[in-house]
Amino acid sequence: MMSCLPFSPDLLQQALLYVILAAIGAFILAPILIRLLLKMQVTRRGEFDFTLRGDRLFKVGTPIMGGLLVIIVVTIITLLFNWERSYTYVPIGVMGISALLGAADDLLNIFGKKRRSRTLPMTLTLIRVHKKWYIRLWYVLTLPWTIFQRSTAVLGSHPGKGILVHEKLLLQFLAGAITAWWIYFKLGAQWHTLWIPFDGVISLGWWIIPLVILLVMFTANAVNIADGLDGLAGGSLLITFAGLTIISWIEGRAAFTLLNATVLGALISYTYFNIKPARFQMGDVGTLGLGALLAINVIAINKTVLLPVLGFIFYIEAFSVMFQVFFRRLLGRRLFTMAPLHHHFEFKGWSEEKIVMRFWLIHLFFVIVAIWLSMN
Amino acid sequence: MLSPKAENLIEQYLNLPFDDVTKVRCPYYINSRAKQRAQLRVLIGKGLPQEIVEEAKIISIQYHHGLFDTEGKCLISGLPTDEIVNPPAECIKKFLVDNGLGVDCSGFVSHILREHYRETRKMDITSKFYFVPLTNYFRYVISWLRPLENMSVKRYASDQNTKKINSISEIIPGDVLILLETGPQKNRNHIILITENDGKIIKYAHARAWSMEGKYDHGVARGEIRIIKPNESLLNQEWVEFGTINENNETYLEAKNAKIFEIRRIKF
Repeated sequence: MMSCLPFSPDLLQQALLYVILAAIGAFILAPILIRLLLKMQVTRRGEFDFTLRGDRLFKVGTPIMGGLLVIIVVTIITLLFNWERSYTYVPIGVMGISALLGAADDLLNIFGKKRRSRTLPMTLTLIRVHKKWYIRLWYVLTLPWTIFQRSTAVLGSHPGKGILVHEKLLLQFLAGAITAWWIYFKLGAQWHTLWIPFDGVISLGWWIIPLVILLVMFTANAVNIADGLDGLAGGSLLITFAGLTIISWIEGRAAFTLLNATVLGALISYTYFNIKPARFQMGDVGTLGLGALLAINVIAINKTVLLPVLGFIFYIEAFSVMFQVFFRRLLGRRLFTMAPLHHHFEFKGWSEEKIVMRFWLIHLFFVIVAIWLSMN
Repeated sequence: MLSPKAENLIEQYLNLPFDDVTKVRCPYYINSRAKQRAQLRVLIGKGLPQEIVEEAKIISIQYHHGLFDTEGKCLISGLPTDEIVNPPAECIKKFLVDNGLGVDCSGFVSHILREHYRETRKMDITSKFYFVPLTNYFRYVISWLRPLENMSVKRYASDQNTKKINSISEIIPGDVLILLETGPQKNRNHIILITENDGKIIKYAHARAWSMEGKYDHGVARGEIRIIKPNESLLNQEWVEFGTINENNETYLEAKNAKIFEIRRIKF
C-alpha cells in the first residue's frame, strides 16, 4: 500500500489542500444541485412521514438526494487527482454501487408505485389451487426466494414505494462482497489479521470476509437510519471523516488520507446547506454511499475494531432500532417511545437543534477516543 | 376488596390517565379478528392503562391525527364539557376504538390479578401460571417471554391454574367467573373478576362489549350481583350492570348461555 512516514507534514499539507478544494467545489455545486432537484421535483413528501407535522410541515418540498453533492465531488476529485488503482478504485466503486442503490430507492419513493410482494400463505395457496401446472411448479421452485422475501420484509418499517428490503440487502451484500474480495485478495496478508489497540492482534484468516461484508452492510444502513434530522447525519459524518483523516495521516496511509480529506471537505459544504432549516437533505443516495465508504476506509487502514467508535452515533441509532424491534416482537413492549433514538427524544419534547447538537458532541467525544485508541 | 393498587388499576381502566382529559373509559378490544402476531401487547388488547394512553399519543403524532402534541397534551381538551356530554372524552374514545386500542377480558383480569397478588402475597402470578408442557417448546418459550398475553380464559379455566368454588358464600375478591362457549355462536369465552363480596352484594369488573352499545360505547365496566336467593346458584341472583337487570343485562345472558359457567380461584 502506498504509504509515507507517520505524521508527515507534506501529507498533512496535501490533505488540507484536498479539504479546501473539495469544500470549494461542493460549495459552488450545491446551489446548482438544489435548483436541479427542485426543478425535477425530487422533494420530500408528507406520505408515511410522521416527522412532517405541526411546526415541521415546512420540510415538505425540501429537496432530497442532497448526498449526491458529496458523492459527485468526491468521485471527481479522486478520479482526477487521487486515482490509485490499487487503493482508491474499490472504495469509490463500492461507494458508487451503494449510492446507486440509494438513488434508485430515493427516486422510486418519490415517483414509483406502491410495491408489494406476495405473502407466503398466498403463495402456498396458489401452489395448491392454481389451475396451470407450470405456474404451480414455478411457485414451488421459487418458494425459497419467496420465504427470503417475506422473512426480510419484517426488517422494513412500512410498505413503501422504494426498493424492497430483500433487494436492498442483496445489493448491499454485493457491495460488501466486493470490499471483502479486495481486502482479502488484493491488500495482502496484513489484512487477514485484526488490529487491536494496545499492541493486540487477532488472526482471522478467511473469517475477515464475512466480517467485512457484515460491517459494510451494517454501517451503510446505520448511517441511513441516522439521517432523520437536519444536520444530524451530515455533521456526524463530517466529524467521523475528520477523525478518519487524522488517523490515516498518523498511520501514513497517503491515498486514504487524501480520500478522507476529500470527503471531509465536501461534507463541510454539504452540512452548511443541511443544517436547520435544510436547503436539501442527504437521502439514501448519500447515506448508503457514504456509510459504505466509511466502513471500507476504516477497514482499509486496518482499524476495523475502531469502526463502532468512529461511527458511534450511527451504531447507537442502528442498535436502538434493533433493540426496539427485539422488544416489540419478542416482549410485546416498547423500549423507546420511538426508534431510531433521535425520534425518541423528539417525543420527549427535545427540539431538533438540541438533539442534533448533543448528538454531534457525543459523537465528537467518541471520535476523539477513537483517535487516541488508534495511537496505542 | 381487592388490594388498593389493584382497585386503583381498575379505576385507571375506567378513567384512562390522559393528562388533561378525564372520563375516557378503556374500550374493549380483542385480537381474535385481526390476529396480529408478535405485536405490541397494547395493540392486541393486553395493555396497561398507561400503555394505552402512550400508544394513543404515539399513533396520534405519528399519523397526524392532531389529538395530542409532542408533550402529550390533548389538543382538543379546551372543548366545553358538562355532566352528560364530554366531547374530548368521546373523541378520544372513538380514536382508541378506530385504532384498535383497548383491552380484552383476560388481559384486564390478568393485569388486575397480577397487581392484587403482588401486593397481598408478594407474588407474581405470571411466573406461577401454567401454560403448556415443555414438549411444546415453541409455545413454551413464547409464554415465558410474554406471559400476560398468553393468559387466556381457557388457561384460567384449567385445573392447573385455578380451582373450582362451589358455593357463592365462599366467593372472595380475586376470584373469577369463567364463561366458556357462550355468545350466539357458542364460540366466545369470557372472564369476570370479583372485586368485592359482603355477603349481600357481589361486585365485579370486566372488559366487555355489549351488542346494544354499538361500535364505540363498550369497554371496562363494573357490575354487581345482588344475592336474593343465598342457597341457589349465581345465575338465580339479580345481576345489575349499567342500570340493566338480568334478561336486559347482556353479561347475565352470556353467563346464562355459557356451556360452562364456573366460579374459580387462583390456586397458588
